[in-house]
Amino acid sequence: MAAKMNGAAAAPRLEVRKIRKAFGQNVVLKGIDLSVKAGEVVALIGGNGAGKSTLMKIIMGIYSCDGGEILIDGAPAKLGKPAASLAAGIYLVPQEPLLFPNMTVLENILMGFRESESELKKRLAKHMEELGFNLNLQRKASTLSIAEQQLVELLRGLMRNARILILDEPTSALTFGEVQALFNVVRDLRRKGISMIYITHRLNEVFEIATDVAIMRDGLITLEGPVEHFTKDMLIQGLLPSDAQAQREGGKAYEPVRYSELKPVMQVRGLTGYGFSDVSFDLYPGEILGIAGVVGAGRTELISTIFGRDKTLGGTVTLDGKDITGLPTKRILQEGINFVPEDRHMHGLFKIRSISSNTTSALLDSAEIGRVSMNRRRQAQIAQKYVDDFRTKVVSLEDLIGSLSGGNQQKVVIARSLSTKPKVVILDEPTRGIDAAARSDVYGIIRQLKEAGVAVLMVSSDIEEVVELADRAITVFQGRINGEFSREEITQDTLTSASFGIEKERMV
Amino acid sequence: MKTLLKKVFKHWEMFLLVFLVLEFVVFGAANPKFLRPASIMNSIVNYISVCIISLFVTLVMITGGIDIQAPSIIGLTSIVIGVLWSDAGLNIWLCVAIAAVLAALCGALSGFFIAYCGVQPMVVTLGGSFLYSGLALLVSGMSATPAYQGISGFPAKTEAGEFVGFRFLGKGDIFGVPTQIVIYAALILLCVWILHRTKYGERLYLIGVNQRAAEYSGINTRAVIMSTYVLSAVSAALAGVLLTANVNSAKYNLGSGYTLAIITAVVLGGTLNTGGKGSILGTVLASLIICILRYGLPLCFGVSTQNLDLPVGIILVLVVLGREIAGQHMLSRLFKRR
Amino acid sequence: MNKLKGLLKARWMSSLIFLILLFLITGIADPAFLNYSSIVSCFNTATMYTLLAVGIAFVIMTGEIDVSIGATLGLSAAMTGLIAQQGGSVAGMLAAVLATGALIGLVNGVGVAYFGVPSLIFTLGTNSVVRGLVYILTGGRTVENFGGAIASYGNKVLFAEITLYYAIAVALVAVSHIVLTRTRKGKYFIAVGNNAGGAQLVGISVLGTKVLAYVLCGLFAGLGGFVFASKYGQVMTVAGSGYEMTAIAACVLGGISLSGGLGNMVGAALGAVIMSSISRLLVFIGLPSTYDNTITGVMLIVIVVVDALAQRRSIEMARRKRLLSRTAANAAQGGGKA
Repeated sequence: MAAKMNGAAAAPRLEVRKIRKAFGQNVVLKGIDLSVKAGEVVALIGGNGAGKSTLMKIIMGIYSCDGGEILIDGAPAKLGKPAASLAAGIYLVPQEPLLFPNMTVLENILMGFRESESELKKRLAKHMEELGFNLNLQRKASTLSIAEQQLVELLRGLMRNARILILDEPTSALTFGEVQALFNVVRDLRRKGISMIYITHRLNEVFEIATDVAIMRDGLITLEGPVEHFTKDMLIQGLLPSDAQAQREGGKAYEPVRYSELKPVMQVRGLTGYGFSDVSFDLYPGEILGIAGVVGAGRTELISTIFGRDKTLGGTVTLDGKDITGLPTKRILQEGINFVPEDRHMHGLFKIRSISSNTTSALLDSAEIGRVSMNRRRQAQIAQKYVDDFRTKVVSLEDLIGSLSGGNQQKVVIARSLSTKPKVVILDEPTRGIDAAARSDVYGIIRQLKEAGVAVLMVSSDIEEVVELADRAITVFQGRINGEFSREEITQDTLTSASFGIEKERMV
Repeated sequence: MKTLLKKVFKHWEMFLLVFLVLEFVVFGAANPKFLRPASIMNSIVNYISVCIISLFVTLVMITGGIDIQAPSIIGLTSIVIGVLWSDAGLNIWLCVAIAAVLAALCGALSGFFIAYCGVQPMVVTLGGSFLYSGLALLVSGMSATPAYQGISGFPAKTEAGEFVGFRFLGKGDIFGVPTQIVIYAALILLCVWILHRTKYGERLYLIGVNQRAAEYSGINTRAVIMSTYVLSAVSAALAGVLLTANVNSAKYNLGSGYTLAIITAVVLGGTLNTGGKGSILGTVLASLIICILRYGLPLCFGVSTQNLDLPVGIILVLVVLGREIAGQHMLSRLFKRR
Repeated sequence: MNKLKGLLKARWMSSLIFLILLFLITGIADPAFLNYSSIVSCFNTATMYTLLAVGIAFVIMTGEIDVSIGATLGLSAAMTGLIAQQGGSVAGMLAAVLATGALIGLVNGVGVAYFGVPSLIFTLGTNSVVRGLVYILTGGRTVENFGGAIASYGNKVLFAEITLYYAIAVALVAVSHIVLTRTRKGKYFIAVGNNAGGAQLVGISVLGTKVLAYVLCGLFAGLGGFVFASKYGQVMTVAGSGYEMTAIAACVLGGISLSGGLGNMVGAALGAVIMSSISRLLVFIGLPSTYDNTITGVMLIVIVVVDALAQRRSIEMARRKRLLSRTAANAAQGGGKA
């Protein structure tokens, strides 16, 4: 294998050509070209739903592609199943590590090898020493932190003599210190000549760690080249949909919120729970309050605790002067708060139920759609109203929601959150995984809410989204609020700095 | 023609209905005696426990659960009624009421462990089936009548040979239709209403599709899940009453061996074992298909009555395989070979 | 560290401790029980359940279930009996039962893994089919009066009152245990049950592993049938029905999680001993054997509920600790900055 590598030094280690993939009607990849040379770290960036994970799964042999070819060291490779990709020296470190929770670290790393255990252990010890890892091999995988799980995944890859490592958003769940440790490992591996595809959402990381960068949008690579050729702004431009500029200018003029005339509808005082601590803020009717911060800062924990999904440890939440701290979700809904969860598939959708069922699922406790028996006509009316209002693309209200595109699914989930006529709507990552057109529709809906006097609390990791929509913003850093910004103060720069805990001029 | 076929097979219930009609055609052609209404009704009466309980186990399975303890509650109900009536001398209807409450408690206990403690439904109801059949045996030990004999002599058969009171439930008829079938029909209507017309039914589906999303919609999923086990236990109690009244004998082991038959009826009826999909009509049609098969095969083709598992098993296997292939799950799997 | 090691072992250790406690309690109630013969005979009588439990443990380990083993046992037992009636050799009987078991296992495995039919449903179907085959093979009659070598093996003592069959069963348990926990391929079963996606990612064939588990399960059930025929000397058409539930219960008692990926074979074997000796122990305690099912049921439910609560608690604690550490880290850092 070594001879082959030398012989084909000019050819990229991994090259994909014209890869296409569709799931049913949904075309995800429209002909992807990408190549990685030895010792390169190619940062692959792109919005949610751009098709990055699908491409990686094809390279890993988990999905088959509909067209195109994959070359390894210049020779076409047949990668139909994971075993073949592993044999070709490819290893994917998935975003959510796929360890065996009931097994020890050692068993996890050595799973699936053919060599003798003693030999493997020797090699493992060597790898761990080279990288300076210090991990107790007898611990059960279920006791590992996410960062430690990722180390285990990396070791798995190295043990397989992987020459091409794919890291799928490796830092999304790591703390700052853990991220630095991971970067050191990546640099080390690069020096050893290992090629990497590094998927990320964080532009800073691109410049810190990558040698090359590729931007993926709507199933195509739209921009590619050595990192030195780009600036952060160029990348941001590359990420934006081509019509984004026009949209922004075409939007309605910003309506300022007259805070002096308003009384807050929801007041959070010293709220402490699992993952956040001592959080206080006010929320006014008719405003959009953005909550920025990095993934894992505690934002999702904060809002889901307010919504009654987890235990409150201290502090109070009042809604219109009424204490609603620690009430169960059912009561919170009745009091007038509703929620659009971050993970639409896990917490939002009833995939094999109809659009109308999905729209009215939060209304089952009200008499709106009947007392004991369902008023199907009323149910359909409500669903139809939101379909019309939101311009949701549906054929029939009785179609399963699973058959809709991500953007239309999200519109139905938002419709549900409005169906209870809430005073406060909490949106967690409202545009995650939906395409550009649906995104601007969702923005329109959020602005409509504001105009209708609903208080909107919006968590978003997409800082541009906060900049575009929010009347005020707060940033959460490591479980605490570390900044509050008025409309004029909200810029990409201020929010990003605060999100990463970098102290700027204005702190609370 | 093609579009017509497509329409027919679009709905699982339609397919089952066609199958049921075919059964009538084939059996009727093979032996005209088959078509006697009284015999057909009798074949349903013979299988009434499975028919009734499968209706309510459908509700359980819609939420993504499973209930294999219901048959043990048949025996428990039967023996409790028998002992209270013959040994304690209580009014028969009071006995029935007590037995029903007891069954509800049994269902609530298992349902509590499943819904509130997060134990797998299969395991809890497996334990429940041991526990409740064990309790039935213990209760039968309290009786003066030996356990193997069964308590008999329930009220009442008039001198004219008419069944009144308790036994009317098992042996009587209303305008020529056996009481049991009238009750079954009423229960079908009740279940259709519950599952397809009420908000409770809507909740069952939503919980089965995605329990966490249901919680985000403010549904008290635990209470709803627990309630389904109570309902299925009460239906088992009713089956126990009917069976006792029919055979005029209260025994602790009535209904044992129905476990797999009930699950078969529900699954054949198209209810997804992962929950979220299924219908009462499907379960009813599947139960009837099995009833008719068990009645027709021996009568028309001389199949031994002992050996009726085989055809039912073959149909179940073929049907689930066919459904899976039609859903193209298999094709994608075979080609992907992961 | 030691604590973790202890935890790893705890699951089957706790069943061992439980078994010893059972013996001790029995001994306190009736000291006559505490002698070598009584205790060994508890193990000897567990032979069949041990084989079934270990077999089905392979399947449960991969996260699936097999309710057809009772029928497989019945079919194998009937075959053994029929071959014995014809004066066939023991080797011939073994070949027949193993082939039968493997074939049924293969069908189950292919149906579940390749066609993607939910395992409970598919094996429910094959259960009926195989039971039907028993009727066809035996003509619905009890197979009996078979003499020859096999009948004499039934209670043959190998050494120290341990029967030949139990010794063989123990040897098989040991081999299975070592395969499952020590060998490369054996660990695949656990890996697939733990995290099928992860197993796929490291190049394990998930489908192949599941098929293999079903085949092994079938082989063990086949052997169980051989033991059944040899021990009882007669095989009814319903032989082995309901055994699948006992075997599943044995696995659960032995610390094997029905969601897969957790537990081992020693646990399954111990669970089988617990399941089969309860009724024997009751006699010594002075309770009639009618308490058998009640106690089994209570035991099963208590164990799984406690286990589920403990597991949920530990997961929740770990999650909360992780979340709390985030804010704690911040406090420390903030202090440093200031």
